[in-house]
Amino acid sequence: MIEYFLLLLGESIMVFGTLGILRFPDVYTRLHAATKCDTGGAMTILIALAIASEAPLLIKLKFLVLAFLIALINPMVSHAIARGAYKYGIKPEVVVDMYAWDNP
Amino acid sequence: MSRVPFYLRERLDEIRQRVLFETYEAQKLPKCEQIILTWIALFSFWIVISGNTRIENLFIGGITTLVISLLMYEMLTDDIRQSGHIIEKILYIGFFAIPQYLFIMAFRLIESNFKVAKHALLMDISPGIVKIKTDLHSDTGITILANSITLTPGTLTLDVNKKLGETYLYVHWINVETLNREVAGEKIKGDIERWLKKIFW
Repeated sequence: MIEYFLLLLGESIMVFGTLGILRFPDVYTRLHAATKCDTGGAMTILIALAIASEAPLLIKLKFLVLAFLIALINPMVSHAIARGAYKYGIKPEVVVDMYAWDNP
Repeated sequence: MSRVPFYLRERLDEIRQRVLFETYEAQKLPKCEQIILTWIALFSFWIVISGNTRIENLFIGGITTLVISLLMYEMLTDDIRQSGHIIEKILYIGFFAIPQYLFIMAFRLIESNFKVAKHALLMDISPGIVKIKTDLHSDTGITILANSITLTPGTLTLDVNKKLGETYLYVHWINVETLNREVAGEKIKGDIERWLKKIFW
């Protein structure tokens, strides 16, 4: 029962993340939606699969290793994309930009 | 500090860096504890990845991971701070610190998903880039802190400025509430940094 709930939660998180990617104005706010919703949705779906599948315990633990790797890699990639975009010269639409104060 | 001449300031920075380095060296774990911690981490990873609990497989894995941890013991455990006995340290990290961190971060992640959904539906955003200060020094601690900040609601780490004795993080905040550095740091970091300072330097 709980795996259907987790699968539905992951699907809805993914849908709202995609909506955020389509609606937000610039690169940095879109990265917010991409990073958080992909990490949360993928981890929730993997945990639901680990509960639902009828594999032995060590195979289920591999799903958790995959979830851990996703949670480790996804923020690093988003940080790399954001920093690369800033260094390339894409100006963010912000109210305050302390990064530009320190790196003129 | 502003009245000190330039050559004296360089000399002062050098002395402070040496003091920091020596306190860091004094707080390191001994070599055997580093080897044991690396071996435990590598061996548990071997068991989960190979998915095979026969006795010869465990024997081969134990020998291989022991050789690797004898060669590369500094890689994982270089930044762990020394406190207490080794058994106490293993029990504390394995049964208290890691489950607490996973529990906190799971709820922060769910909360941040709902917050992004709310922002995507209502579009009530006022983004900004703020600068906060952390007390951590080691590379592993700063990496875990920056990743946790990226996964907590409404924030994304943009860059790290690591200087002598003080480290600054530039954080893209999707809904800027305050510009004061201490209040912003307290809001963004929460209790993750207090938790990390018990383990990492």
